[in-house]
This record gives sequence, C-alpha cells and structure tokens, in this order.
Amino acid sequence: MISRLPINILRFIVLMAVQILIFSNIKFSPFINPYVYPLFLLLLPFETPRWLLLILGFATGLTLDFFLGSLGMHAAACLLLAYVRPLLISVITPKGAEFELEPNIYLQGVAWFGIYCGVATLIHHAFYFIIEGGTFFNIFIALLRIILSTFFSVLFMMIFLFLFTSTKKRRMA
Amino acid sequence: MYNLIRFLARYYLFFMFIILEGFCFFLIYQNNKYHQAMYVNMANEANGKVYSSYSGITDYLYLRQYADSLAVENARLHAMLKESKNDTATNKQTQTDTVNKKTEQVYTYIAAKVIRNSVNQTANYLFINRGKNQGITTQMGVISPAGVVGQVVTVTDDYAAVMSLLNKNFKVSAKLKNSNFFGTLAWEGKNTTMAKLREIPKHVKLNVGDTVVTSGYSELFPENVMVGKIKHVKAEPEENFLDIDVTLSTNMNNISYVYVVNDLRKKEIQVLDTVVKKNN
Repeated sequence: MISRLPINILRFIVLMAVQILIFSNIKFSPFINPYVYPLFLLLLPFETPRWLLLILGFATGLTLDFFLGSLGMHAAACLLLAYVRPLLISVITPKGAEFELEPNIYLQGVAWFGIYCGVATLIHHAFYFIIEGGTFFNIFIALLRIILSTFFSVLFMMIFLFLFTSTKKRRMA
Repeated sequence: MYNLIRFLARYYLFFMFIILEGFCFFLIYQNNKYHQAMYVNMANEANGKVYSSYSGITDYLYLRQYADSLAVENARLHAMLKESKNDTATNKQTQTDTVNKKTEQVYTYIAAKVIRNSVNQTANYLFINRGKNQGITTQMGVISPAGVVGQVVTVTDDYAAVMSLLNKNFKVSAKLKNSNFFGTLAWEGKNTTMAKLREIPKHVKLNVGDTVVTSGYSELFPENVMVGKIKHVKAEPEENFLDIDVTLSTNMNNISYVYVVNDLRKKEIQVLDTVVKKNN
C-alpha cells in the first residue's frame, strides 16, 4: 500500500497538469469537453478504504475546480464517482475473479477496463454537465454534450493507459 | 441512543457522501449567486502566474496570427487619421464648428494580453494580465480589434477575470447599424461563433448580412463597436420580436490581445443614475 503512494501522487500531478494545461484548453466545440483526470480515481488500489476514496474524490475535484473556476462542480461529480466506484467494480467483475492491487489494463483486460472506464466516466460526465449547464440547455443538447465528451474522455484515457502502464506487470501476468 | 450510533456507524459512508455532496452544492449555489465575487478566489496571483508563464510558451506558436491582426488594426487606425481624409475647404469649415470646438476624450483603452481563455463551458471566462495596478476596475468593457469580447468581473493586483461574450450571464446592448433599432445580444450556448439578438420589433426590416454594433447605452462599450453580422432571421407568429442569429465578429477561440475600455464619464453617469433613482 505504502509503495503505491509515490506512483499515485505522480499520476495525480501528471493528470491534473494534462487536464488543466491541455484538455481544458482544447477549444474544439462546446459539445466536446474531455475530462481525463477522473482516471486518477479509477486507478487507485482496489483495497483503498471507501472513506479515503470519498476524501480523495472530493480533494481531486476541488483542486481542478480551483484552477478552472467552477467551484464545487467537479468536486460534486468526483465525489459521486468515488462513491459508486466500489459498487461498479463489484457489479462488473465476474464472480470468483480475484484482482490484485490496483486496476491495470494488462491484468484485467481491455474489455473489462473499457466497461469500467466507460460507465464511470459516463456517470461523472452526466452529473457534471447537468450541474454545469443547469437549465441553460435543453435536454437533447445536454445529452449530446454528455455522450460526445464521454466518448473522447474514454478515448484519451485509453491512450494514456497504453502509454503509461508499465510493461513489467504485463510479464508478471 | 446506542441504536442511533450503531445506525450512523453502519451507514457512515453514505452520510459522509451526503454531507460532502451537500457542501459541494453549497459552493455551486454560492458560485452562481455571486458568480462574479467567487472569481476572486480564482483570479489570484499564484494562478495568474501559472497561466501567464504557460501562455508565454504557447504564444510563440501564434506569432504570425498576432502580427497579422495587429497589421489589420494598424491599417484601420491609419484610415481614421486626419491625414487620410480628404481635407477640402468645406471640411475645414465643419471642423471649426462652434458646437464641436473641442473634442473631449471620453474613452481610453488599456491593452492587455489574454493568458487564459475558455470557450467550452456554459460560463466562460478569460484572464488578462492587467489588474488594479494598471487601472482596471470591475464593470469595464473588453474589446478586441475585431469586436466585443466581454466585461471585467474580478480584479486582483496584476490580473483580471473577464466574463466572456460566451457566458450565459453576459448580455450586451446592441443595435442594427443601418436602422438604429436596438436589442439585447446574448449567447445561446451551442456554437462559439453565434449569438442571439432579441427585442428587435417585428416591423423592422432587416437583411441577412446587416451589421450589428454596440448601442453605447451602457458605460461598458463605446458606440459602434462591431458585434457581428446577421446570419439568419426568423419571425415566429406568436412572438412580438424577431429571432435573429448573429455571427460574432470576434473569434473567441483564438483571441490573444484585447483592449479594456475605460469610460472617463463613468463617475458622472453614476452620479446621474443615483439622482434619477432617488427622485423616483
């Protein structure tokens, strides 16, 4: 557990920097708004206590809010993500399968990871965009924003995973 | 009592979730209610330094575009110089008109660089590298060489946050250049290059391509600052006003240098305003 601390701190810093300096600066369209930073919460070790997950989720969201000026919005969405993460893992994991340490795209497989990231990101984005847009948009525009953004977020998350997951674990598996 | 404690202990996660979530919504509510004041937290000096050093790097990528936009503006300003105008005898007479003996400076402009800009939220803001020390206050209009950009909402010592034209809370009084009918322009949230002009009565005749400029009725912007061109006009039978789509003249996606409008009459107008309000 302790040995996982430095890598998680590093991952937090990298994802935050990438999110703030690159993805939040992509001015493609109001409909496409990728948020990749939830990946930090998704990659925390399996045995992370749920109270710690909640606190980390809250802190992650608030950090990003501070930089993007959307005080409270990302924190609310991340908190929900942190709350449902253990439930989501238990739902999508086949009975009897035992996972070690932390989620890893080479250990659990791309299919499992795709569903895991996809559903978690969808929850996060749906919550976030509904809070952010409020009643400003009609429901179809809000849905389009959620779906397109989720698609691009998951795409970038997968690229990030393939680039930065160490291959040492792959040989172990 | 014991049962209560056991109940809380058992569902402590859920309660923790609810309490933290409640706190988030409290923040969001505060943020919406005082969306301008809350930006004090954001436009702080540390944050500003991060963004301005980042923009210092990315600026090199757009040098050619900056130079182009400055050249275009220089050309426009040159055209406004007295030397560029036909100086005939009749013109001289109008210049010595007793009414306009002295031209009075009404607006001054403070040039600023955009260090951060967002377009894909519903409430978009820009940060500029000028603040209190350079004479910026809240409620100043911000324009670019191409047209209207936004309005200053928060100022720190060296930085300011500008509510972008692409913000659900931003409204600007705009008029049709050729007929002087005025209405309110606001962003719709769908497209970063389009906005809606409302409150233009139905009987007004207008054409696609007509120019929309600021009305000058607020202290924010001088009169006749470019806003955009009419792209599409729709007349709904059940509405009293026209539904006008305007293509914005400023491309908010690649905005880099802006001017903050300083209205020198602001204080006097505010005095008048308070007198009028008192008398009512």
